[in-house]
Amino acid sequence: MTFLYFPGCRIPHHLPQYGRSVLALCDVLGISLEYPEFGCCGWPVRHESYEASMYSAVRNLAIAEQAGLPVMTPCKCCFGNLKHARAAIHSNESLRTFCAEKLAREKLPFPESTEVVHLLTVLDRYVGTAAITGNVTHSLDGLKVACHYGCHALRPAEVTDFDDPLAPTVFERVVAATGAEPVHWDLRLECCGHPLRGRDETISGALMRRKLESVRDSGAHVLATACTYCQLQFDEERIHLPAQDPLLTAPPALLVTQLLGLATGLGGGDLGLDKNRFLQTYLSY
Amino acid sequence: MTFLTTGLLLASAVAMVGFSLRVSRWFTRSSFPANSAPAPERFSFRALGTALATGCRTLVLDIVLLRRTAIRSPYRFMMHSLILSGFLGLLLFHAMDDLITVHLFSGYEPTLDPWRFLRNLFGVMVLAGIAMAVIRRLRSPLLRMAAHRDDWLMPALIAGIVLSGFLVEAASIASPTIFRTMVADYLYTDHPEDIRALQGFWHETQGGPAPEQPGLMTPEDLTLGQELAEDGCFGCHAQTTSAFVSRAMVDTAPSFWSFLGTVKGDMILWYLHVILTLLGLALLPWGKFMHVLTTPANLLARKGAMDSPGPDIRNSTLTQGLALDSCTRCGECSLHCSVAPIFSVLKTREILPAEKLTALAGYGSRKGLSESEQLDFALGSRICTECLRCTEVCPAGIDLQNLWRTSKRKLVETGRGGPHREMLTDEGRARIRTLPPRQQPDTCPGLSRRPESFQACIQCSTCTSVCPVVAVSEDPTRDLDLTPHQIMNLLRMGLTDVPLTARMVWSCTTCYKCQEHCPQDVPVADILYELRNDVAGRSRS
Repeated sequence: MTFLYFPGCRIPHHLPQYGRSVLALCDVLGISLEYPEFGCCGWPVRHESYEASMYSAVRNLAIAEQAGLPVMTPCKCCFGNLKHARAAIHSNESLRTFCAEKLAREKLPFPESTEVVHLLTVLDRYVGTAAITGNVTHSLDGLKVACHYGCHALRPAEVTDFDDPLAPTVFERVVAATGAEPVHWDLRLECCGHPLRGRDETISGALMRRKLESVRDSGAHVLATACTYCQLQFDEERIHLPAQDPLLTAPPALLVTQLLGLATGLGGGDLGLDKNRFLQTYLSY
Repeated sequence: MTFLTTGLLLASAVAMVGFSLRVSRWFTRSSFPANSAPAPERFSFRALGTALATGCRTLVLDIVLLRRTAIRSPYRFMMHSLILSGFLGLLLFHAMDDLITVHLFSGYEPTLDPWRFLRNLFGVMVLAGIAMAVIRRLRSPLLRMAAHRDDWLMPALIAGIVLSGFLVEAASIASPTIFRTMVADYLYTDHPEDIRALQGFWHETQGGPAPEQPGLMTPEDLTLGQELAEDGCFGCHAQTTSAFVSRAMVDTAPSFWSFLGTVKGDMILWYLHVILTLLGLALLPWGKFMHVLTTPANLLARKGAMDSPGPDIRNSTLTQGLALDSCTRCGECSLHCSVAPIFSVLKTREILPAEKLTALAGYGSRKGLSESEQLDFALGSRICTECLRCTEVCPAGIDLQNLWRTSKRKLVETGRGGPHREMLTDEGRARIRTLPPRQQPDTCPGLSRRPESFQACIQCSTCTSVCPVVAVSEDPTRDLDLTPHQIMNLLRMGLTDVPLTARMVWSCTTCYKCQEHCPQDVPVADILYELRNDVAGRSRS
């Protein structure tokens, strides 16, 4: 199975450990990736201009259409916007015409059928939990994991078609395949707060606090994320909490690929674990 | 003092002044923030050794071998290598022959091979490289659109220098004046029959000026001419066919060249060649010519890095100035920019990194940017997603990522962070309210202005009760002005502009819970997106 890898803009500089661990894990699990030069998914510019956001997404879909392969992204926000654009070009006639004209000028095909999938779906549906378990060399038995879903994959469900928006299970299934124990926690479907970074730091910080408290109270050892922005929020942004803040010792955030990578015997170097800011809980486990 | 010496002194003086001015600008860019550099390491031989090794590696790989260009594009590598090696060859062995070539090679004469041949070869290399560069720019709609006047003039000047050089040599080959002077100075005989024979031979085989009545020239004359040439000329003159470009020019239109010889054409062309060359020297510190000095310096300063090492790196006024002036305007950053498709919709040039870099240089300068230029620069800056690609592809090794991150911070500090930032203050909100409405493009669904999208709202306030932003506020009216269901109600009442500056709209996390849970299928989150788009549209220049 081959996918076009869509890392999104924030991985190369801001979260290289996600990119590195995605590639390492895909290699282990036999997922083959191709690397066309995609542009921005359009999500960051959605506040500024719907039209620009949609064209930016549609152009990526067109690149995939040309390659004739589905797009796989590890970022929930990229996933959400690409899916939104995919739906919008079928429901919005003037957007469709606008994009078709611009794509024709670039000699790109109109993306009638491009599939967009999130990494979790690839792991669950294309690889399968049984195959993941088959690759586990270091069972994570006894590790309690709180799975953090990420909004833009779940909602709006009619556009994203990811999982049940009110009671999703895909993330827990994938994590359980490593022998770890997914725990239920109250705020697992809520926003991480990262979209408000740079826009409203106060509320962004408050959302992060609430979620970290909920994870801590659940008894989980680690918080697993499957989205670039969620991971940045719970790892990179958390370091700005004042010293002595109790949430500094709340469960550390680990990327799903790092978690699966550890279970399948990948080394810290392949997974970029040295870049994670809060790993003490996991390492002392 | 000769014309050449005077001109050389003048051009060098202009270049020196220009260079000083340009470098001094690095230190007067007051509004451009430099982060606090870490304390320099204590001196050690080990550190010195490492620095020297890195420097040598950068010099060889990045500067001489153009590694960054080679791994990206064989075409651009060929193009730049042709110009670089051809121009260096002409500069060192032709323009500076008095200083270099004479001392390195005994018996050097510019008319002897290999010099005569090499001069033509180097010239052809430069012209081929320039042609490749022009073709590259013409073939890309993005590069063509973004080209500045200098992007055409600068290569034209280089091509002009080389072309005029070819013309000077062609005119010299065909010049009767030069032939007469050479005969008077170097031929041991002044017998008119000998001179006629020599000229006949020279005209026949070397493209020289035609003798009188060339039709009367006998084979015996030509044999005599050849003997004379071998004795008196070929010691210092290679066959003119070695100058394969100039000789071809002569052979194509011999009568034009002999006419030119009668009006001192060779002198005129020589002056043109020298003036163009001196102009090139004088312009060295201006525009993209400066890159021949700054780009190697910047590559050395970057120590071979192709990523952006982040805020811990020494980021002084000097390194920033050097980085800004190292741009060759090749446009690779813009061609690979992740948000270039967004530029193609919004049309603000400053979204493209190469254009944003030009704006950044102006932004930090003493003169500054105009109001609308600042708006465009701020828009380009906030649309940038910091994907690192421009930094990775830059052949000049400019740490663009670092420049963007520092300049974005500066823009935010000076109140140019865009509508989201403005909405955080009362003054910002007041200013936004004064902006005239602007028509949204028809590709936008227009949810906030079409009753069908919100008229089904029954004010059940489910959206508000599931909203995580409302949930973290102790007093939503104080913190957010309005809650989601209140915004829907205002829209139902036709008060579309009222919620535009409500903090709820701007502090929405876009988590879509409101929309997912709405029992009436009102696209609440999409409507909030549209309200922000509305203000963003009004805020653009």
